[in-house]
Amino acid sequence: MIVNAARRLNRAAGMIAGSVLIDSAMEHHRGYFHNKLMWTPIATSSLSIAASFHGHTDRRHGAHRVRDVIYALAGVAGIVGTAFHLYNVTKKVGGWSWQNLFYSAPIGAPAAMSLCGLMGFLAERVRDNEPGTKPTIAGVNAGRVVAALAGASLLGTTAEAGLLHFRGAFHNPAMALPVTMPPIAAGLLAVAAVGRAGVPRPASRNWLAATAAMGVAGVAFHAYGVSRGMGGWRNWRQNAFAGPPLPAPPAFTGLALAGLAALSLLAAYPDE
Amino acid sequence: MHEYRETDEVDFAIVGTGAGGGTLAALLAEQGFSVVAFDAGGYFRPLEDFASDETEQNKLYWTDKRVVDGPNPIQMGGKNSGKSVGGSTVHYAMVSLRFRPEWFTSRSSLGYGADWPISWQEMWHYYGVAEKQINVSGPLTYPWGPKRPRYPYRAHELNTAARLLARGCEAIGIGWTETPLATLSAPHAGPEGKSPPCVYRGFCRFGCSTNAKRSALTVWIPRALAAGAEIRDLAMVGRIETGPNGRATGVHFHREDAWHFQRARNVVVAGYAIETPRLLLNSASDRFPDGLANSSGLVGKNLMTQSNQAVWGRMDEEVRWYKAPPSLAITEHWNYDDNKDFFGGYCWMGQGPLPNEWASIQTGSRGLWGRALRDAMLDYNHMIGVKMVGEMLPDETNRVMLADDLDQYGLRVAKITYRWGENDKALIAHALQQMGRSIEAIGAKDMFRQENDTNHLGGTARMGSDRRLSVVDSDCRSWDIRNLWVCDGSVFPTVGGVNPALTIQTIAIRTADRIKHLAAAGEL
Amino acid sequence: MSDRSRYPGYDVLAKRETPSWDEPTRRAIDKRLHVSTAAHFLTAAEWAVADALCRRILPQDEAGETVPLAALLDAKLFADHGDGFREADMPYMREAWRAGLAALDAEAKDRHDGRSFAVISIDDQDSLIAMMQKGMLSAAHWPGLDPKKFFERRVLVDVPALYYGHPKAWSEIGFGGPASPRGYVRLEGERRDPWEAVEAVSGHEDAARQLNQRVV
Repeated sequence: MIVNAARRLNRAAGMIAGSVLIDSAMEHHRGYFHNKLMWTPIATSSLSIAASFHGHTDRRHGAHRVRDVIYALAGVAGIVGTAFHLYNVTKKVGGWSWQNLFYSAPIGAPAAMSLCGLMGFLAERVRDNEPGTKPTIAGVNAGRVVAALAGASLLGTTAEAGLLHFRGAFHNPAMALPVTMPPIAAGLLAVAAVGRAGVPRPASRNWLAATAAMGVAGVAFHAYGVSRGMGGWRNWRQNAFAGPPLPAPPAFTGLALAGLAALSLLAAYPDE
Repeated sequence: MHEYRETDEVDFAIVGTGAGGGTLAALLAEQGFSVVAFDAGGYFRPLEDFASDETEQNKLYWTDKRVVDGPNPIQMGGKNSGKSVGGSTVHYAMVSLRFRPEWFTSRSSLGYGADWPISWQEMWHYYGVAEKQINVSGPLTYPWGPKRPRYPYRAHELNTAARLLARGCEAIGIGWTETPLATLSAPHAGPEGKSPPCVYRGFCRFGCSTNAKRSALTVWIPRALAAGAEIRDLAMVGRIETGPNGRATGVHFHREDAWHFQRARNVVVAGYAIETPRLLLNSASDRFPDGLANSSGLVGKNLMTQSNQAVWGRMDEEVRWYKAPPSLAITEHWNYDDNKDFFGGYCWMGQGPLPNEWASIQTGSRGLWGRALRDAMLDYNHMIGVKMVGEMLPDETNRVMLADDLDQYGLRVAKITYRWGENDKALIAHALQQMGRSIEAIGAKDMFRQENDTNHLGGTARMGSDRRLSVVDSDCRSWDIRNLWVCDGSVFPTVGGVNPALTIQTIAIRTADRIKHLAAAGEL
Repeated sequence: MSDRSRYPGYDVLAKRETPSWDEPTRRAIDKRLHVSTAAHFLTAAEWAVADALCRRILPQDEAGETVPLAALLDAKLFADHGDGFREADMPYMREAWRAGLAALDAEAKDRHDGRSFAVISIDDQDSLIAMMQKGMLSAAHWPGLDPKKFFERRVLVDVPALYYGHPKAWSEIGFGGPASPRGYVRLEGERRDPWEAVEAVSGHEDAARQLNQRVV
């Protein structure tokens, strides 16, 4: 149970890392990697994918030191990236303005790298529990910790999607999905995090599963959005870069999967 | 498309399908009236007909014969005159600004020009309707004027030319904003179909082949057609006929090499500030020897244009202003600051001239030719410019009359006489100085001025509350002939310091509302 | 391309089959590129003067293709594709050109022993043009047409547009060229889209040329 939960969290981290790899590659290519540090998320997300795959195949108990280091690097890279993107916003004319929030390097994007690192970190912490014990992280019920952090992460990701969908004036009703479904999922996870453990929460499970599906559907919606650009897919060199980012929505899927792992942990280990 | 017979007495014959005529055609048709909207120009389908080419797209402009005169003759053509279904909105730069409220009472509040017979509050309401209908993409907060509702779409991304304007404004301590533009910043799906967002190709003033631009051609004409109006293109209206009771009975139009007559219960003239008075004057009869709706003698008089001077310079960095709409950023500071020793206001906006236009500025403003011209043009990607839209005051001697020259239809052409007044010159001098300061402050070098340029028009069929001092009333209905209307920029008593297209469409929306009320009250 | 090229190797026409060009654009540009070199409006004598005048207004001394300005001017006048309006003391475009070319030729013959504008030296041609620009030509040869206005309102309005309306000029100045359906992604001046021109840094023309030859 412990190892399976940890493996699920590894997979969640891997999913987010995949999203970050393609997204940062595209966006930093758009910026021509003009600053050498723009290669960082390419490296850390690739390593995170490798680490996550490794964790997925690893059925042993105990935190893995190399994976821990990789996930920690991912976490730090995301923080540094956020600082760069914030600087990017503030140095442009108008500074902290809607114009720069909309059109500069997205301030929420590097955070996804940190969230990958966070989910990976949690994967290792869960795994670092003796078999047959009730898993904890820093002395707290592991299920509660993962639920709380997965929920908070969903809210953060919603903020980024919301900013960009607001920029798009919510021109399509489906754009409301990532600003409604994940917050509800976050709310359900918060309730689970502080509520009674050991109870099944079918409604929460279903909602989180739906949110995970929403992340996948988001790719299809974004593909449709790319086709809505002038010249459609034939003009992909413009529309794939200027249009909605194809690799971004699966970040929600990764976090929702982490949330589902949290619910499983909570259900499996009731309070005394 | 529904087609009417010439013998059908349609409710409204509208002459011109631009910001005034196109808007009105749609709204009246949607109210259930029978409408035929004429345009001398052709009905272009942008995706099939528009090329990415300045020269080819000259086909959008009114290039029929006209005569210009006076100490400051106005340059016509692409600066201010369109000839196609959609009118000048097909080639305009989509700048969608509201008048400053005080301008509607210029005379009583600010001491110049003439008062409008419509309050600013009423216009403020209709501005909101217009902005929504044409899906203006604008900033979330607008720095000047009373509060306005949120623009339907978000402002566009600023290109370097716009950011430089912004930095220049900040350097001299005045505000700036993203320009509210009538082109989509996100996809749009409406009754007329799906439109993609702007692709930032920069050919805005030569016809949008993306259909992101919200012109009369992409917004109002499709609505008019869907509501049963007929758009009769390549149909030059040459004369409005009046009957024995002095009311308009229909229009004579030239189409397919012959003259025809369309009967109509009402005639709306929407040919903009040159063609509208020209048509009214060309429709003179025994009963109306001075032209129609002209008992005040004001038809064709009080022509106003707007000063369009600019300051240009070269930056060390690459600017590549050809990317994106030309005027993504704007400052209206001097429209709202009254610490000036002249009347009226002006705004200035960024620029992005394409090669031909840029060459014409180099030759026109600097007199360059030969090797010097070719060398100067090599700096194309490093240039920056800021260009004003400045208020010019009404003057009865600035006017449109009939010349003796005949055009290809055998009609007397317009003769356009203009001179800048002292106030106009003072405003221009102030603006040139301020614009120069702003780009000098950010390091522009080899700066030069474009001193002789004007653009939008207005005033020649003035709106007012006194029939002796105006041509039409606040409903755009002419005093003399109650079924003859004017719905375009000609009705402006003052021209303001902002681009007029939004205000023209707003007046048209209000006029449509007024017609609805008048019809219901049996007063049509 | 000459050595002084700012955008070596950049050719707007290389993008003809990319999403930067659409069918209406190809049609319009093809027509211009294949303009007839036979006169349809100008007489042979007028053509000679016009050709010489155009060569001074937009000199094309360097190697490589030449934009056929006289042919384009003749086509424009034949189709009467002008801005339409005239100042009160000037004729319309076509009459103005005929009168202006005749007057310029008469000026040349008057000052240079009966030799046409088309055959006098380049310096003499430039000198006459400069005088025309400054309003220093006598009215005697210019009935009904002010030489300064002819120069400002016709020569400088019509001729540069023939050059800068041609793809060769677009490539020369690094203009992005036709752009539909594909416009631009990177709106910053300092960051180009891969289908835009690269400006050569002095001394590094080859690097720019290599990139420009891959523009597509």
